Amino acid sequence: MSESIIPESELEEVELYHPKSWWTEKVFSQDAKLIAIQYGLTAFAIGFVALVLSWFMRIQIAFPEMAIISEGTYYQFITMHGMIMVVYLLTALFLGAFGNYMIPLMVGARDMVFPYLNMISYWTYLISVLVLFVSFFTPGGPTGAGWTLYPPQAILGGTPGQETGIILMLVSLCIFIVGFTMGGLNYVITILQARTRGMTLMRMPLTIWGIFTATVLALFAFPALFVSAVMMLFDKLLMTSFFMPALVEFGENLTYGGGSPILFQHLFWFFGHPEVYIVALPAFGIVSDLISIHARKNIFGFRMMVWAIVGIGALSFIVWAHHMYVSGMNPYFGFFFATTTLIIAVPTALKVYNWILTLWKGNIHLTIPMLFCLGFIVTFLNGGLTGLFLGNVIVDVPLSDTYFVVAHFHMVMGIAPVLVILGAIYHWYPLITGKMLHDGMGRFHFWVTFVGSYLIYFPMHYLGFIGVPRRYYEMGQTEALYTSSAADLNIFITVAALAVGFAQLVFIFNVFWSAKNGQVAEKNPWNATSLEWRTPEQPPIHGNFGKELPVVYRWAYDYSVPGAKDDFIPQDVPNEKVTLAEGYSELGVEKT
Amino acid sequence: MSILSILSQKPWTSDQAKIDDKHSGKSSSMPLPRIGLYVLMTVIGVLFTLFSVAYIGRMAYGDWRILPEPPLLWFNSLVIIMSSFAFHKATISSRENNHKRTREYLFLAGALTLGFITGQLFVWRELVSFGYFVSTNPSYAFFYLLTALHIFHLLGGLIAWLLVIFKSFALEDDSSNFSLNVNLCAIYWHFLLVVWLVLFAMLLLT
Repeated sequence: MSESIIPESELEEVELYHPKSWWTEKVFSQDAKLIAIQYGLTAFAIGFVALVLSWFMRIQIAFPEMAIISEGTYYQFITMHGMIMVVYLLTALFLGAFGNYMIPLMVGARDMVFPYLNMISYWTYLISVLVLFVSFFTPGGPTGAGWTLYPPQAILGGTPGQETGIILMLVSLCIFIVGFTMGGLNYVITILQARTRGMTLMRMPLTIWGIFTATVLALFAFPALFVSAVMMLFDKLLMTSFFMPALVEFGENLTYGGGSPILFQHLFWFFGHPEVYIVALPAFGIVSDLISIHARKNIFGFRMMVWAIVGIGALSFIVWAHHMYVSGMNPYFGFFFATTTLIIAVPTALKVYNWILTLWKGNIHLTIPMLFCLGFIVTFLNGGLTGLFLGNVIVDVPLSDTYFVVAHFHMVMGIAPVLVILGAIYHWYPLITGKMLHDGMGRFHFWVTFVGSYLIYFPMHYLGFIGVPRRYYEMGQTEALYTSSAADLNIFITVAALAVGFAQLVFIFNVFWSAKNGQVAEKNPWNATSLEWRTPEQPPIHGNFGKELPVVYRWAYDYSVPGAKDDFIPQDVPNEKVTLAEGYSELGVEKT
Repeated sequence: MSILSILSQKPWTSDQAKIDDKHSGKSSSMPLPRIGLYVLMTVIGVLFTLFSVAYIGRMAYGDWRILPEPPLLWFNSLVIIMSSFAFHKATISSRENNHKRTREYLFLAGALTLGFITGQLFVWRELVSFGYFVSTNPSYAFFYLLTALHIFHLLGGLIAWLLVIFKSFALEDDSSNFSLNVNLCAIYWHFLLVVWLVLFAMLLLT
């Protein structure tokens, strides 16, 4: 045994929880992998509800004469769609599902460090989802305050769902945050303390760097949402005036007075903007790994990729008020926040350059995960560039509350992260189920989703430029704001949206069909280097790594290393055990 | 190792690999529960800080009225200081393996905490009797909100305290975990004491 190989006796074994019944094995499981699947299925279930809501909204916008839903219902659907997609789907999927599945496997741990807390985290999340969902069936229905829940209108009469919907929304968010905090503790501490031997922080794959930084952001940012939710609950239920100014409603003076709606906006966006990066950073990490694997090349500028993730995370806390340029806040604030917004574009752009340079001269395999990654890069670039428009006060003011904004945020934090999630599912599905997803259905799914998304959101930029306002359930007859071209475009967008929706049904079918009928996956089918593919069984069983934990000897990006016979060297293979290519005496050294 | 030196590593080089191969995989030698508690306290700290920022932000508006602090708050503060001190003594006793004395201090600390909570509820009653309701003025609302939130965190701590008490009756030979548990409770109580003192100072100054 050579010097660099660490004796197995030095490895520390960890105590593992073993389930004692069917219930503790299959339902109240403490295994992070099952918890991840529970998170994923719950998030997809509620996310599907949000997707269906968007179909109703699109049909209403395209064919207002049909009046498929009332104006109140439209606002309720728009609110629930936004909140579910941002918090209950994307956050839960990236951190709850991918975090739980990938962290222990990728860092070489048997499980999360606090498995019991991890289990409670999921069940708390489920309760938050149920509380939110129940609001559909309460008197007045769910809240229609818009996903930002701005007071005073969120809790005033006339806003749909102000009877119970808004209360359930706020309570659900508080429960979600409590649940997330339990999960977040696990993700952070597992990454810091439960890595296997040789796995330094800088040897971790970028997926883990993304999830780690996003979790830290979430632990700092979600309390702001908690604070605003609790204070608004007080305003609603106990008639305090934290956010509520003096108001006259239906000719009567309300008891509120002196409160500050802008205070709510500051608190909300202090959470809201980091939330964008809570979603984006794991996506950045995953896409970096996927590109490297499917282009058979090490990631370009690894250190800068890590720095960019950490830098973006830090900067994301000082840009929040660029969401508030037209809120009436001090205009000088705007200059500060416009500047920080431009600064945060620097590390973000750096990441895009590095992805492209990773692809440059790579051995690009146009697998489905790679297609989704390529789709992500252009979509994120598009969404990011429109962000530069909206980040500048003088351009933002005329574009505020138009479809340009809708197009921007859907591209940058809707479609872009969803493309990564889908790519990641195609990539890791063989690990999770032991089967391959059907390739034909997968390619159909990608092309319809990708092209369809552009058909939906590109025209919205135009709608925004000509001044079509967002949030209107019908535009009426005015030619000034709503030209016939805009009306036709809205029909076009709706058709594209329904087609994209249909493609998602194909994907869902593929996921369930392939789990039973799919082609059995070979071990490590993508020839990846990271530890999740190095388990004795595929799918990995409880405890992940068999008798001995793996020992790590290299970073996660040893692809196409000169001198190696294979075009990848797994992280747990020491130099001495690498099979050399013909004509090489050692890695990187040709025989003389 | 500082975060900057970690971030400047080049994990793909053979020189760095020689160092990295010997890495245990842990970033700290602290026990897991202790790190867990520190992360939790950081999140709770952020929560109270944001409430305080909201408090200060809301103060700037014209309708703000200064809340007259009942003198009972001073007494309550003394009680929570004593509770924290009792936890400190419990930690010392547990390190000396004096289980009986540890349990006595733990009971004292719990009783004092319950005393503090009861005292805070009396303060609420007093304020209500003066007509200072939660909806009367934002400063009163903040007082009720912040004290309630602080009490909730103490109640959460009391669950951990109960578990430690149960554990103290079922101690086996190896009591190192017990000592750690007592110590973690103490740290959490000291933290909530500091939170209370900062909140109290903020209420007094404004």
